[in-house]
Amino acid sequence: MANIFPRSSNWIPLKLIVILAVLGGAVSSGMWYYFTPKYTRVGYAPVQPVPFSHKIHAGQLGMDCRYCHSFVETAAHSNIPTTQVCMNCHTQVQAANPKLAAVRESWQTGKPIQWIQIHKTPDYVYFNHAAHVNRGVSCVECHGRVDKMEVVEHAKSHSMDFCLTCHRNPETALRPVAEVTHLGWEPATKEGESVTEAQTRLGTELKAAWKINPPDKNCAGCHR
Amino acid sequence: MSKRVIIHPKEEAGGRKYWRSLGQLGDTPEFRGWLEREFPQGASELEGGDVSRRAFLRLMGASSALAGLSLAACRRPEKQLVPFTRGVEWSIPGKALFFATSMPTRKGFSPLIAQTHDGRPTKIEGNPLHPVSGGASGLYEQASILDLYDPDRAREFKHAGKAISAEAFEKSIDEIVAKAGDGSGLAFLLEESSSPSRERLRGEIAKKFPKAMWAVYEPVGNAAAATAAKATFGADVLAKADFSKANVILALDADFLGQDSATDDTRAYAKRRSVDGGNKMNRLYVVENRYTVTGGMADHRLRVPASQVGAFLLQLASELAVATGDVALKTVLGGAPKAAVKFSAEWVKECAVDLAAHKGASLVVVGERQRPAIQALGFAVNAALGNLGKTLGTVKVQAKPAASIAELAKALDDKTVKTLVIVGGNPAYNAPGDLDFAAKLKNATVIRVGTNEDETAPSATWHAPLAHYLEAWGDGRALDGSYVAVQPMILPLFGGWSELDVLAKFAGQPKPKGPELVQETFKQFTKTTDFATDWPKFLYYGFQPGSARDASAPTLNADAVAKLVAENLSLPAPDAESFEIVLTADSSIDDGRYANNGWLQEFPDPVSKLTWDNAAWISPKSATKLGVANGDVIEVSVNGAKIEIPALIVPGCADNSLTIALGYGRTAAGRVGSVAATTEKYVFGDAMVSGGFNAYPLTTSAEPYIRVGAKVRAVGRNYALAITQEHGSLEGRGGDLVREGTLKQYNENPKFAEKFGMDAHIPENRSLYSHPPLNDIHQWGMTVDLNACTGCGACMVACQAENNIPIVGKRQVLDGREMHWIRADRYFASGPNADGKYDQETDEPEMVSQPMMCQHCENAPCETVCPVNATVHSEDGLNVMAYNRCIGTRYCANNCPFKVRRFNFFDYNERQIKELRKWNLVSERGMEDTLKLSKNPNVTVRMRGVMEKCTFCVQRIQEAKIAGKAKGRDSADVRIPANSFTAACAQSCPSEAIVFGDISNPESNVSKVRSGPRAYELLKYLNVASRVLYLARVRNPNMKMPDAAKAAAYSQPKHPHGAHGAEPKHGGSQ
Repeated sequence: MANIFPRSSNWIPLKLIVILAVLGGAVSSGMWYYFTPKYTRVGYAPVQPVPFSHKIHAGQLGMDCRYCHSFVETAAHSNIPTTQVCMNCHTQVQAANPKLAAVRESWQTGKPIQWIQIHKTPDYVYFNHAAHVNRGVSCVECHGRVDKMEVVEHAKSHSMDFCLTCHRNPETALRPVAEVTHLGWEPATKEGESVTEAQTRLGTELKAAWKINPPDKNCAGCHR
Repeated sequence: MSKRVIIHPKEEAGGRKYWRSLGQLGDTPEFRGWLEREFPQGASELEGGDVSRRAFLRLMGASSALAGLSLAACRRPEKQLVPFTRGVEWSIPGKALFFATSMPTRKGFSPLIAQTHDGRPTKIEGNPLHPVSGGASGLYEQASILDLYDPDRAREFKHAGKAISAEAFEKSIDEIVAKAGDGSGLAFLLEESSSPSRERLRGEIAKKFPKAMWAVYEPVGNAAAATAAKATFGADVLAKADFSKANVILALDADFLGQDSATDDTRAYAKRRSVDGGNKMNRLYVVENRYTVTGGMADHRLRVPASQVGAFLLQLASELAVATGDVALKTVLGGAPKAAVKFSAEWVKECAVDLAAHKGASLVVVGERQRPAIQALGFAVNAALGNLGKTLGTVKVQAKPAASIAELAKALDDKTVKTLVIVGGNPAYNAPGDLDFAAKLKNATVIRVGTNEDETAPSATWHAPLAHYLEAWGDGRALDGSYVAVQPMILPLFGGWSELDVLAKFAGQPKPKGPELVQETFKQFTKTTDFATDWPKFLYYGFQPGSARDASAPTLNADAVAKLVAENLSLPAPDAESFEIVLTADSSIDDGRYANNGWLQEFPDPVSKLTWDNAAWISPKSATKLGVANGDVIEVSVNGAKIEIPALIVPGCADNSLTIALGYGRTAAGRVGSVAATTEKYVFGDAMVSGGFNAYPLTTSAEPYIRVGAKVRAVGRNYALAITQEHGSLEGRGGDLVREGTLKQYNENPKFAEKFGMDAHIPENRSLYSHPPLNDIHQWGMTVDLNACTGCGACMVACQAENNIPIVGKRQVLDGREMHWIRADRYFASGPNADGKYDQETDEPEMVSQPMMCQHCENAPCETVCPVNATVHSEDGLNVMAYNRCIGTRYCANNCPFKVRRFNFFDYNERQIKELRKWNLVSERGMEDTLKLSKNPNVTVRMRGVMEKCTFCVQRIQEAKIAGKAKGRDSADVRIPANSFTAACAQSCPSEAIVFGDISNPESNVSKVRSGPRAYELLKYLNVASRVLYLARVRNPNMKMPDAAKAAAYSQPKHPHGAHGAEPKHGGSQ
């Protein structure tokens, strides 16, 4: 009986193994690299029930972050403003704007607006806003230039690596406490100094002066 | 350098032994198992259950393949953020709020602070502003938070078993009220309460329905104490002891540090127990039939059957009448019956001499459950000792004459009561056994407002849910008589009515919508002219300052006492063949009201360490005589009443005396507290049966607590009892772990506890491992004062509430898997007999309690063995646990010398106890909604396969640190002020035995305590450098007493390595 399969088919199993191994390796390393918060989270910008523009409010009008996120300096959470806060102005300003229909409805019915969550820390992480904004870490470090966002998006990865990079080198993020909500603030540069260098210089000074000692090895700092 | 092998020191022969159980004393294989292993053999295997290991692996393989097929989890789930529409006053999302309130107990209201997170109460603390609480709280206060969220609470209004609307219920009540006429045929049955609002409503109901019957029933009450005090002092008063002034205390069947305790008494006692700061240490004599928490604190203890306490007091009074020459006491004794039994003459005499030597500064306390004549005699003895108005005062109580449950039962029998309103309580279950109350309830139409649909519920035509105290407005009086507020923290979860709501309806008022009813009482009570200021103040403080009733100096009516003693002092002769039965409230579930509270069910009794059940405590000698071992079921019969219950051998019990806790054997308590559905058929021997045995059939309305002449026989079955006394047994000589000395020793060498046993031989120790530097500005540490710790266990439940610690069920406790982060190790201590053996001595041991939690070792053995660095050290000296890193190897638990690590063998939070052993995908998953509300949001709810242990309440540490940072802002001033916060256990401790804080701050309490002479470290020779220090216990024996040598707790010499004290040549290097 003649051979049905040519001789070269003997190589098929080996080829298959090699191909599968390479493919498997590629898929694994692809997932390893790309299925991380840096890629899965950054850029997430869901459509909110109210087309609220941070660009207008925080950027153009120059409202301070803390007008709406009023408890950011006292609590772990940075609160989402109540409908009441919106209506503080919008009973007078843009009172009939159709974009604000949902806000007015909420105000009349008492039913809260259901905003869609963008930044979410896992349940086992106990992030605290007050600990950061009171100690010279600006909103912009984790949330990006919200004052330039028409629609808020997830700007930074918020992975543990992201947290630890800063916790290990806090001087890269420290600024005078008064400047924390000024998202566009840049440190004053000396002659021939880049902004990064100026930041590091200022940050190092502030770190020493304020005894900044973020938990970088103490797991209980964030996990409890 | 040769390898050094650490051999735990053997206990020396002939010395004093500290032991946890009779099993340890006998060195049984079972005990060795507990000692050498973290968990008993086989406990870590997936045995039994529904699935074999092999099948489990096969199924797991299949399920992971399935999980791979579905890619449902690719998209991030969309979640909503929902802010309030209008801002809520005070509310900051994520920040806790604290409100003053108080918890009703049968003795008085307990002033509290409730912590709420986003409108749900999560933790209870004592009210630090109130003198009774002083910031501390007890077991029941701590556990009450779980009662609020009990998913088995009554949820519906019902008529004849069918759900109706709340409006329909209210309408029915209106109709009943309209038809009730002058109130004949109407009766109310309530629980004891000191609420002025309730009294006010009662007055209005009495006006509207003058013929209505008003009955109050508490299965374990202080009626005898009230009777005795009224007869003795001629007024409606209750005796109030002042332990802060007493130098010598004699407690007669009075568990004033345990069952009958009040936080202020415990604190006052512990303060006087102190040897520091120039305090003159008090001395405590205890006469009791079984070991109680109070007995454990005693300097001298005498085992006497509870029925013989009267005889003992008589003998003591005779001695005192001679010693003091008091005429009134002689008058009283003149007509007293003669006791048939004599107690150790020397013991009684020396005790009497000691008491007489401290006239005006001594105190004799008689247990509230003793007969009035005995208590009255106790008052007479105090009067003879000149204690009235000094160590013993009285507090006026409002006279609230009410019918007893026996009178109500009679009225039901005569059918003179046609409509019975029961608010709270559970009379069908806990009425005295001779009344057959459940059957009599059929003679009336019953309207019941109750927490659970319990044993009484089936008799009720109408049943409505009762609001928890955290859901309702109210008021009351604390133990010192001060007027306290009860504020709701949350709207009634199941729409329940409060007691005041029900009574308001019967008083013809509308059901209150808010605090208006209490406000009205407040106005009348305080006669305020500025309500708008005073009312918010009242709520803010939680009490009305200055409203406490001062303890007044009472005068003894000797003739009345003499009459009572002559007529009513019964002195039953002891009988070697029959037993006495002592019925007590349970140390964890009280009279049965907390039966469905898992925290309390799993709370080990402070003495017997029994969980999930009750048992008949019996002395080793009586057990031998009956031929029963632990768990052997005995039949107890007295005057025709009969129950079966397992025996539990507890050292320190009087012979021929059985102590049985009430409150168990519930049939309709709920999923946690009920026994098998059919009461007649307990499945003996099956470990899965829990819930204990109902002892109420043994009670009678005449003799509710102590019955004599009982017959006991073994029935030849065994019942598994989940006892934790051997769990977490530590290597090493017991006396090294629990260090004790006498006051004499302490005075000679305050540092007597520094070098016990191996501690004198420690060579220079070095750690093989390098450790990260401890360079934080805060360094956390804790001290536990064994001299103050009574072993009450409030810390255990406080920890459970604070740290989201699950319960595991009886079966898991049997396997040694209880999850308590802090446990109270109880040691007995005794010396050898004349023959050098230890077995017979076990009737007269001493007792010591030692809270044990993670020691936060600086050289932690657990950290070095973790393969994934899930447990590491922080710069501020914490041994931290990262749950999300833990892979569950349990190496750390194996390497912990203190056995304080707890492993989640099952998904205790997500699965019910009966579902634990079912295979993952078929068991019901998910936490009850109400229980979700009860969790502390600042602590992770751990899942299966994760190790956990005491964290020193790291969430509180972090909160304080962050608060410091937020306050410091752009400055370096971020240090947490000394003593500004504390751990949950330390906060609840009524005797202030546990102190927590920053040991690097010399101003902190913990630094001061740590530097005291009595501080010592556990297992110091292991060089773990623990952050928890214990303070040695000091006993204050009267050297003239016959048992003084024994009471001189720590056996000094015998063993050459005993206590070297400051002997330098043996000192080793430190």
